[in-house]
Amino acid sequence: MKKIYQLATLSLIAGIVPGFAQTMQQIESKRSDLMAGQLLALHVPRPDLSYEIAPTADITISGKVTDEKGDLLAGVSVIVKGTTQGTTTDGTGSFRIAVPDTRATLVFSFVGYAKKEVVVGSQTSLAVALTPDDQTLNEVVVVGYGSQLKKEVTGAVQTISSQEIKDLPVSQIGQKLQGRLAGVQINQATGKPGQGISIRIRGQVSVSAGSDPLYVIDGFPITGNIAQLNPDEIEDLSILKDAASTSLYGSRAANGVVLITTKKGKPGQTNISFTAYTGLQKVPVKGRVKMLNAVQFAQFKKEFYEDQLLPVPDIFQNPSQYEGKNNDWYDALLRVAPLQSYNLSISHNTEKSNTSLVAGIFNQDGVVLNNKYKRYSLRMNSNYNLSNKVAVGFNVAPSYVFDNTPRTDGDRGTGILFNALHTWPIMPIYDANGELTKYNTLPSSTGNIFNYPNWVRAANELVNETKNTNLLGNAYIQFRPITGLTLKSTMNIEYTNTKFFFFNPSTATSAINVPIPTTAVSIRQGLESMSWLNENLATYAKSFNDHNFELLAGFTNQKFRSEFTQVQANTYADDRLPTIQGALNIDRTNSQNGANQWTLTSYLSRLTYNYKGKYLLTAAVRADGSSRFGLNNRWGTFPSASVGWIVSDENFLKTVPQVSFAKLRASYGVIGNNNIGNYTQYALVNNTTNAVFGSTVATGAVVTSLANPNLGWETTKQFDMGLDLGLFNDRIQFIYDFYTKRTTNLLYAVQVPQESGFTNFNDNIGEIKFWGHEFSLTTKNTMGKLKWTTNANISFNRNQVVSLAPGIDRVYGTFHITQVGQPFGQFYGLVKQGYYTSAEDLKNSPIIPGRSAIGTIKMKDVNGDGVITYGGDADDRTIIGSPFPKFTYGITNDLKYGNFDFSITGSGSYGNQLWVRHLYSTANLDGVFNMVEGVKDRFRVQNTIVNGAAVATNVITQGAGQFGATNNGGNYTGIERDWNSTQFLADASFFTIKNITLGYNIGAVNKLFKSARVYASCQQVYIFTKYWGGPNPETSGNGAGNGDGGNLSQGVDFSNYPVPRTYTAGVTLNF
Amino acid sequence: MKIKYIAVALLTLASIGCKDDFLTAVPETALSSATFFKTEADFVQAVNGAYVPFRQMYNERAWVLEEMHSDNTYYARNTLYGAVDATENVADFAIPVGTGDGGAKVTANDNVLVQYRLNYVVIARANQILSLIDGITFSSDAVKNNLKGQAQFLRAFAYFDLVRLFGKVPLHLTPVTGRQDAPAELATTDQLYAQIEKDATDASKNLLNKKSQEPGRVTSGAAKTLLANLYLTQKKWSQVETLMKDVVTNDGYSLMPDYNDAFSYTNTNKNNPESVFEIQYMEGSAGYNGNQIYRFLPSPITADEIKPITGTSNPQPTSQESNNIPTPDLIAAYEAGDKRKDISIGTVTLSTSLRANKVYPYIKKYARTHALHNNTGQNWPVYRYAEVLLFLAEALNEQGKTADAATYLNQVRARAGLAATKASSQADMREAIFKERRVELAFENKRWFDLTRTGRVKEIITAYGARVKASPADYYFPAGAVPPPNAFTNLDDYYPLPAVESALTPYF
Repeated sequence: MKKIYQLATLSLIAGIVPGFAQTMQQIESKRSDLMAGQLLALHVPRPDLSYEIAPTADITISGKVTDEKGDLLAGVSVIVKGTTQGTTTDGTGSFRIAVPDTRATLVFSFVGYAKKEVVVGSQTSLAVALTPDDQTLNEVVVVGYGSQLKKEVTGAVQTISSQEIKDLPVSQIGQKLQGRLAGVQINQATGKPGQGISIRIRGQVSVSAGSDPLYVIDGFPITGNIAQLNPDEIEDLSILKDAASTSLYGSRAANGVVLITTKKGKPGQTNISFTAYTGLQKVPVKGRVKMLNAVQFAQFKKEFYEDQLLPVPDIFQNPSQYEGKNNDWYDALLRVAPLQSYNLSISHNTEKSNTSLVAGIFNQDGVVLNNKYKRYSLRMNSNYNLSNKVAVGFNVAPSYVFDNTPRTDGDRGTGILFNALHTWPIMPIYDANGELTKYNTLPSSTGNIFNYPNWVRAANELVNETKNTNLLGNAYIQFRPITGLTLKSTMNIEYTNTKFFFFNPSTATSAINVPIPTTAVSIRQGLESMSWLNENLATYAKSFNDHNFELLAGFTNQKFRSEFTQVQANTYADDRLPTIQGALNIDRTNSQNGANQWTLTSYLSRLTYNYKGKYLLTAAVRADGSSRFGLNNRWGTFPSASVGWIVSDENFLKTVPQVSFAKLRASYGVIGNNNIGNYTQYALVNNTTNAVFGSTVATGAVVTSLANPNLGWETTKQFDMGLDLGLFNDRIQFIYDFYTKRTTNLLYAVQVPQESGFTNFNDNIGEIKFWGHEFSLTTKNTMGKLKWTTNANISFNRNQVVSLAPGIDRVYGTFHITQVGQPFGQFYGLVKQGYYTSAEDLKNSPIIPGRSAIGTIKMKDVNGDGVITYGGDADDRTIIGSPFPKFTYGITNDLKYGNFDFSITGSGSYGNQLWVRHLYSTANLDGVFNMVEGVKDRFRVQNTIVNGAAVATNVITQGAGQFGATNNGGNYTGIERDWNSTQFLADASFFTIKNITLGYNIGAVNKLFKSARVYASCQQVYIFTKYWGGPNPETSGNGAGNGDGGNLSQGVDFSNYPVPRTYTAGVTLNF
Repeated sequence: MKIKYIAVALLTLASIGCKDDFLTAVPETALSSATFFKTEADFVQAVNGAYVPFRQMYNERAWVLEEMHSDNTYYARNTLYGAVDATENVADFAIPVGTGDGGAKVTANDNVLVQYRLNYVVIARANQILSLIDGITFSSDAVKNNLKGQAQFLRAFAYFDLVRLFGKVPLHLTPVTGRQDAPAELATTDQLYAQIEKDATDASKNLLNKKSQEPGRVTSGAAKTLLANLYLTQKKWSQVETLMKDVVTNDGYSLMPDYNDAFSYTNTNKNNPESVFEIQYMEGSAGYNGNQIYRFLPSPITADEIKPITGTSNPQPTSQESNNIPTPDLIAAYEAGDKRKDISIGTVTLSTSLRANKVYPYIKKYARTHALHNNTGQNWPVYRYAEVLLFLAEALNEQGKTADAATYLNQVRARAGLAATKASSQADMREAIFKERRVELAFENKRWFDLTRTGRVKEIITAYGARVKASPADYYFPAGAVPPPNAFTNLDDYYPLPAVESALTPYF
């Protein structure tokens, strides 16, 4: 198999005539301001970088650069064309540079302005005016294994430059992208610093394989997390959405690909810049769950007993005694917290080398007590030209992250925020001496059945820290033996070492109903992983007549290996020494180690062709061999093709002056998802299935799973059609994409009859189809003294489950169903229709026999059999909502006036619901926990004695219709609480103003600074939403508090860490 | 120029492909089928693993389906706790029955499902061993045969349980490899009998006998007893006689002098001279324990009331539904002076019970005091020498050798402190042995199969059901509570197949 691919690669290379492509030169010149390094070098021979030192007598040229209105421009790059010699203008817009002779050409470039070339000739002093660059379509974009003129891209690729997302005071790149990308849903599921961003491209989901996109940093598909990448290291990002753009990533491409390019040395001598910001974070009061306060809680309890004709316990007889004695446990866990960020960037460029260095310190205290997040990072990217044919480069990026986050997320066991909502507000946080209470409990005669530990202690005293050391590095050598041909070999490594330490001292706990002192527990985990990638690529470019070709071929090998160890110990004599040896007991079942490994060998090739620069064609193929795939199915082939037509270059459109640019695109391709587990294909043997014989334990081993030697990747076939339009000299730019894709061969643990001795068989089965529309619009509203640009996007993603396994038409999630013929992962339950308002209503409506009464919840009789049934053959449950939005959208406005600039970004989602998990207990009408404020406006009915038994008959109030009556105990109230219904669903549509920034550019301050800028910004400014279940309508979680709920169970609000509002002030200094 | 050559050299070096096994990554911290079943030690472990499902089966389910589903035991309704339908339905002969896609009778009853599945786990593990063991060289044939014999026994034993519970079940004799061969057609009762006969016969030849075998593992004597049990079910009396005489004469078993010592204690008296095969448990936190007696405790029971029964130092109250409570019928079946009665059955008064007199009988013969609450180590008897004697007596009587039968029956009666049987006709002797089995083997999951193999389900259960319905209070119902209306309506000899499994197979 491998031989065949090698042969194919060779013959592809051999089929190309030597030469050089004009298109490629064009790319090179456009690209040079962006980078002089590695990615470009992947496939484009540099146009004759001349390394001979100019023999004699340089001519010194000086001058000034202004904008179109004559204002001086600082920081403009000035380079001698065809060399790396260059400088930048100072704070007065002046420059001075030596050129070899009068034929030399100087190239002036500055972000936002058109590049300008000036032939020196006889001049020694130049006055250069730059005009704003409207030719955004001439930008170069990074694509898989290379870069392309944006104009000539035939796939669905969206790019973001670091300029667009500067000044956002957030720790992760994902947060910076919210609201800016069409077709990409980015949600912040939890506000934990450095965590919780979910990125889904074109709504991709899978039953059991992963749905995260592939992240590629400087050409290296990483295995780790981009959350820890210092966003300031990023120069730009490309998001590859369609199969034609991603198919070169083969079996890892189905969830889309995010290409990240880090900062490279820029032409010009030496640039030093320093950025810093500092700010404060605070959780707004708006959006928090409104709970009963102490008085309201006592009042509820009083009424609870009165309505049932029961004696009211003493502590509830006079609710007003709690006036001014409310304990807001949720608020007690929150604080106003500072954050700071410092970055130093140095870019150095000489004739034969360039270097870029970014050093960053990020320090964020979380808004939950005792939460700290620190990141120290460094990146150095260097390129050296050893001769005019050989270049080498090295990138190295170490980072260290420290994170201590209390157990904030999840349900009763782990989520102190969830638990805080539930704690009775009459229970004190501090005792009479001002000390934190240990735990609170009240006599069971008050209806209290749980111990409530002090959550403030839990936050402060539990240790839950992660230390992560990460190293990304790569090196390349590049050789251009003949014009047009580039050979390049790279070696990349990614090393991570994560140490986790958890300690629960005897004095605190994150779980409800654990009395203090509790058993102290420590957990230590170590995870070390190493991934290396070797890539060998050949690129050949050639043009003749109007035909322009570029051919890429290569092969790559990647290997990943990780090892982990966990030691759990409990029962400590002294909380001050949580060592392993200090524990009385090592918990053997929770102490373990393991290893994981996968390998990937790939062959790839791409042909890019255009005729006259307006008829565009790209064809690409990758073949992946993976250790994850079954022995009989080891290799997968992922081809794609795309075409483009620049209609505006046709004569018939050239006569329409309003249309400045128009391109039609179409693509089709096959891509895969290999997130199917490392060893899923194998039958595993458990060797701790021990038997007892007499008084002897005998080691036993049993096969626990079925092997599948045919196991393979999930296959996605995607069609994309797009239109790029520029109107009125590109003042209006519009992009539209329609896509449709089908994912088949879903990894699925198909249930098998257990007469086989096994529960399931891992197979590739089932099909989901997806389709969607994406629109982006950029308009330059005003271009005078006030420059106002608007960028808006909206995306519609849909999916439908076409089939699952044979004989299986549904899979259940936590509160969800994934059913054939329906969209994926829908909410499932009964439909609430209000409450039974009277004896007559009860008589005339479908009821739950024995469990319905006046004031209990009334559900819809979906199957019309006259009885409400939950589960079984006569089930009245149905699909009641969706965690997936009907559409998502974003809008950014940038304004510039003189030295001021202003930017506002919003991001929104419409039509999705969230499952309000806490309502299960915070609206438990038995009054076991504290309750949501709305419960005070519940249905109230008073019992009377009928034939010696208490019966709910006298309606006091029908209430606000949201919550039912408390009478008769769990047999009745349990329906509202335990039977999943629309009661738990809340509209989670939102529009959030993510960021507002106001900046002022000082220009040259003095000789020290070339330029400076100060700004103030606010992040997570305001959320417009009707969502009432918690502060974060973007949330999604699971009960363990460690993820977003998984593919089948999206959109459950487990009262995760709230996302704070952040106010910052920052400064950028260029030296 | 030099640089160019270095570049070429480096590029060439980098371009050399990796070795062919680059793409092979097998799990390192778990054994896989790729690396297992290669050595003698692997097969020893695999055989050990095949015994394991019996721990759960005999702790949780077997007694529900094979003892409570008879006139020996019932549940004690605890209205404070709520309904426990799955178990009550079995005791009430009222499990819901539907029709599977393949046309067979099916039920959603959880006890049926779990018992069925656990048997097939044993079968799958035995199939793995038996399909591969012949291809591996062992240190000696004796070692190999002893391992093979254990796998054969376990497979036969599991199928024998299945065929007696369901009549027809899928027959798997080779390991399943994927989705296609996971479901198998239902085999007929005769096909299943033939396979059990073959496996048990082979096992009886391959296995070591009790003297040489490690205590707790199955022996040639156990295999012969299993085979005799099959023949007894098939009414092949002479084969039963031959096998049981062989066991009596050659295998060295004996009755323990005290009936109470026939059953193991928490740590002692396990696999004693009377024991032919028992399910092995071990008290402790390692997970090899049982907790049957807690499942058999009448409740709601206070901590103080539990303590004398379990002897644990940290007793906790329990308020669940009570199961496997000896019926008044069984208690009455003990003859006067039978020592076994007080050894087998105790009584306890529950202060918080809603029953009028608050007194309940409970199974005492397994209630051995122990250290850890809800964690017991006594073994569960499957075959005892007493049953060998009763098998032999029954086989002799059915062949007309009634006097010979009395000899063996009387051995069992003598130990119980009872006089020799007065039965002299074949019919009286048949009844005497039937009654003797009921009390000697009470709570050992024998009664239901005795009813089915003798064809007496309708006769006995109909009368028993009428008594329960007529006087619920005698059957531990608190005032006002009664058996459900559909109680004692389903008197089939076989359970319906599990509905959950039916949904996954086209065959039933």
